[in-house]
Amino acid sequence: MPLFEKTLYATDFSPLAEVALDYVKKLKEAGEKEVVIVHVVDDLSVELPEGADLLKEKELYKVLPEVDQEYVMSIIERLEAVKDILEENGLSAKIFLRYGNIPEQIVSVAREEKVKLIVMGAHGKGLLTEILLGSVSTDVIRKADCPVLIVKKREE
Amino acid sequence: MFSRILYPFDMRKASLNVKPYILKLKEAGCREVHILYVLLPSEWGLLAKEEYDSKEKIEALRGALDEGYVDALLRRFEKMKELAEEFESKGIKARVLMIPGELDEVIAEYAEKNGIELVALGITSESLSFFRVGKLLDVIKAVDKPILIVKTPEEEGDEEV
Repeated sequence: MPLFEKTLYATDFSPLAEVALDYVKKLKEAGEKEVVIVHVVDDLSVELPEGADLLKEKELYKVLPEVDQEYVMSIIERLEAVKDILEENGLSAKIFLRYGNIPEQIVSVAREEKVKLIVMGAHGKGLLTEILLGSVSTDVIRKADCPVLIVKKREE
Repeated sequence: MFSRILYPFDMRKASLNVKPYILKLKEAGCREVHILYVLLPSEWGLLAKEEYDSKEKIEALRGALDEGYVDALLRRFEKMKELAEEFESKGIKARVLMIPGELDEVIAEYAEKNGIELVALGITSESLSFFRVGKLLDVIKAVDKPILIVKTPEEEGDEEV
């Protein structure tokens, strides 16, 4: 059964996201073939349209200050590095860089790409942060149509 | 990473829908599954907080609990045993047990004590099932292990199995 054939790996490049990447690699043994790597940017100094594709819509760069352009370029490099790691592990991989609401964009790419599973880390943020900002992982669980694998902390 | 999986089961279709995922994870190293039914205080009243992992232990509750409750527990236990047999036939060792307590506390404590590497939960968006998204938040907060969440549409997920 192709339950894990195509997965979405959402990363914020944190150490916890790296642990989640180990799970993505491990799922190859359970039939995973393709990984969609997603990062969502929500902290640029210029407001962009929700869901803007920062890889394809190159004209968007023109409205960004230089510091944001450099920031976006550095994220693309990091996404490419993750893609290389997965390809070295025998998986096919592609990258997505979106602007906007983080959980909404993760779920939106998951739908577009028809992935079978979303893999992501969940930070143990304080209760106040959770009340004020909501939790990215629980929002993804609420909105996603597919199963979600939440990785919490590094294994001992 | 996936060798010992905790499978909280609430007798609803939504939790049954997790089964194929656990079976598939055998290919990625799953060797053992612990099928756990949490006896909520609201449902069964106050029971000694121990692991009810055999028919004998459940039978022993006659007297302390209403006969109808004990019969219902036994029926649930049998259903979980059938599920366990299915895992065993596919080469995954299975343990079946019932523990009274709050959902998040029981799951987190059991996972910690028993070297669980993954908690696999079936949920519906909002339903009679224990595992609603709202309740799930407590489980996610309490458990340190990775959690696989399999969502089932409400109308079919709520059905008892």
